[in-house]
Amino acid sequence: MDLMEKLTILTDSAKYDAACTSSGADRPGTVMAGCCHSFAADGRCISLLKVLLTNYCVYDCKYCVNRVSNDCARAAFKPEELAELTVEFYRRNYIEGLFLSSGVLRSPDYTMEQMIRALELLRHRHHFGGYIHAKAIPGASPELVRKLGFLADRLSINVELPSERSLTALAPDKKRTDIFSAMSEIKSGIGENCRDLAIYKKAPRFATAGQATQLIIGATPETDYQIITLASAMYKKFGLKRVFYSAYIPVAEHSLLPALNQKPPLLREHRLYQADWLMRQYGFKAEDILSPEAPNFNPYLDPKCNWAVNNMQEFPVDVNTAPLEKLLRVPGIGPTSARRIVAARRSGRLGIAELRRIGVVLKRAQYFIIASGNDSATRDREMIVRALIDPKIYSFGAEQLSLFQETPALPNVSEFNSLDEAVEETVLCLTQSL
Amino acid sequence: MPDSKPLARPTNTIYLYDGSFEGFLCCVFVSVREKELPLNILPETAAPTLFETRFILSDAEKAEGVRASIPKKISPRAWELVTTVFCSCLADKELHLIKFLLKGYREGGKICNMLGDEVVAPLLAAERRLLGEAHLLKGFVRFADAGGALVAAITPKNYVLPFIARHFTLRFPREQFMIFDKTHKAALIHQNGEAEIISVDDVAFPEISEEEARYQELWKRFYNTIAIKGRENPRCRMTHMPKRYWQNMLEVSDLVNPDKEYER
Repeated sequence: MDLMEKLTILTDSAKYDAACTSSGADRPGTVMAGCCHSFAADGRCISLLKVLLTNYCVYDCKYCVNRVSNDCARAAFKPEELAELTVEFYRRNYIEGLFLSSGVLRSPDYTMEQMIRALELLRHRHHFGGYIHAKAIPGASPELVRKLGFLADRLSINVELPSERSLTALAPDKKRTDIFSAMSEIKSGIGENCRDLAIYKKAPRFATAGQATQLIIGATPETDYQIITLASAMYKKFGLKRVFYSAYIPVAEHSLLPALNQKPPLLREHRLYQADWLMRQYGFKAEDILSPEAPNFNPYLDPKCNWAVNNMQEFPVDVNTAPLEKLLRVPGIGPTSARRIVAARRSGRLGIAELRRIGVVLKRAQYFIIASGNDSATRDREMIVRALIDPKIYSFGAEQLSLFQETPALPNVSEFNSLDEAVEETVLCLTQSL
Repeated sequence: MPDSKPLARPTNTIYLYDGSFEGFLCCVFVSVREKELPLNILPETAAPTLFETRFILSDAEKAEGVRASIPKKISPRAWELVTTVFCSCLADKELHLIKFLLKGYREGGKICNMLGDEVVAPLLAAERRLLGEAHLLKGFVRFADAGGALVAAITPKNYVLPFIARHFTLRFPREQFMIFDKTHKAALIHQNGEAEIISVDDVAFPEISEEEARYQELWKRFYNTIAIKGRENPRCRMTHMPKRYWQNMLEVSDLVNPDKEYER
């Protein structure tokens, strides 16, 4: 089989993995905040050569294209082939590095050995200095995971499904305890390495860009609240750098899975990323965003706006005096704007014109702030709600809204003829409850 | 009130200069000496106008005086901002810069914290746009292997070469490479561990070898395979990767020059 064909098969079977960031690697010639080299037709960033070492797999996870029972073309890279391809792509500035995952060939240990061989070639023979993100295989022995960590910048292990019950039902060969024990293994590896590096700068580096994981969304019945509490717990317990959410795209017929013609829940995935961002960058807790009583996202509002309309007593916030944490809670003000406000107000009071000039977008924020010379912002509730409705829902479309689990306080999309009608009804509904 | 005395008398004169940074610094020198704010400052290549013009000669000594005064009398950050914005594509950047400097000489270093000021804000915005474009190009530059050396062409709006030079030098310490900026007729050349930027009108790119063509095909194949059909989202792609960069990116260049195929 020639390289072109292999690359096609092994890219095709790797494309459902969400992560493609190259951030956090402390290497010369890499961009600290990550670097996108291209964007695919689906709008996702391409920063790494994302391939499987092989898509042969002995497991039979029901949701996976590469399951053993699926009749599809199979291929495997030779370690040397893959190393050379990576180096040549890297030289031409196509990519920032390699994202290597694999189907399980023979056993987890055997597969990991193959991956390690490819990475050793890259690092030691080709002196490759780019980014490597490797997926550890759950169930492989701890020594191999450690070995992999010294070759890669980032390690990740997929949690796959948000609950143990779903995992047992759909991925009978994978054990949640294996996944979590490997994750704490990596965490302690990173911790030890930090101490070694503090003593000796040139100590070998173990996964310095940290550890990540991925969850499949919409294949199983967990609520959004369950998902974000799980994510938040994993951030704390395993010191994860990122949790990735991947909207499930039906690839197989199975009684426990959504039908093949079901669209992937992209808007819901988007809401999860927004919530995740709030937890990592804005100081929100999972409990601020959702609760057992309201366990699902509001499809019409992003989680931050949703929090704001439910906590109107916190507003308005005075941009000239409020601490950074308070500014970060204002819809429309992100970390960059908040920091600029704090810096700019040292040299004089800020009015609306100044805010605009420093680049704060006021479309939403104007209803929640007091600025110099503007202490009587509109308090017209309907106008506020209208400004908060997420314009993205129009590009996602009504079908995406219907993929959310029902929220009792909101009108159900399927009862309306058009998206506009549903939005109107929602505006009314929210205005009254404000 | 500190604003009672005008910074400089506005005039109807347009300064013409040779377009170099040194020439610009001499314009600052003249403006400060005469206590006047020109109507505009234009490179001598600009279209002729009906207004009174005055040609400002470049003078290394005057330029050096102004150069030294900026970090000393205002702040090192002001110097950084001025040199960066001079490379940007901000319309009438010279006039914006001179207004900033005149105000800076009076206000001192604190001017750089006045983010919302009407003189400062446009400069900061221009700087952000330039650095943003430089950041994007760190990813979007596509090299082709030409007999062991790497060559690439870009067409940026801002003069970004000085801002990406360090990145590529660190990334490819042992490679020989060249990035040709078609818009600004300049090239970043790195060989034997040394990088320099030279001005050059045009560069003839060599024919690509068979091996190079093979890697280009592999890359295009990867690019087209990695996208998930069920999630196609052209608008999202365009937001992150504006179309004006596509012409130099081999995986999407066919989408913007469809007739290129026929030419061959």
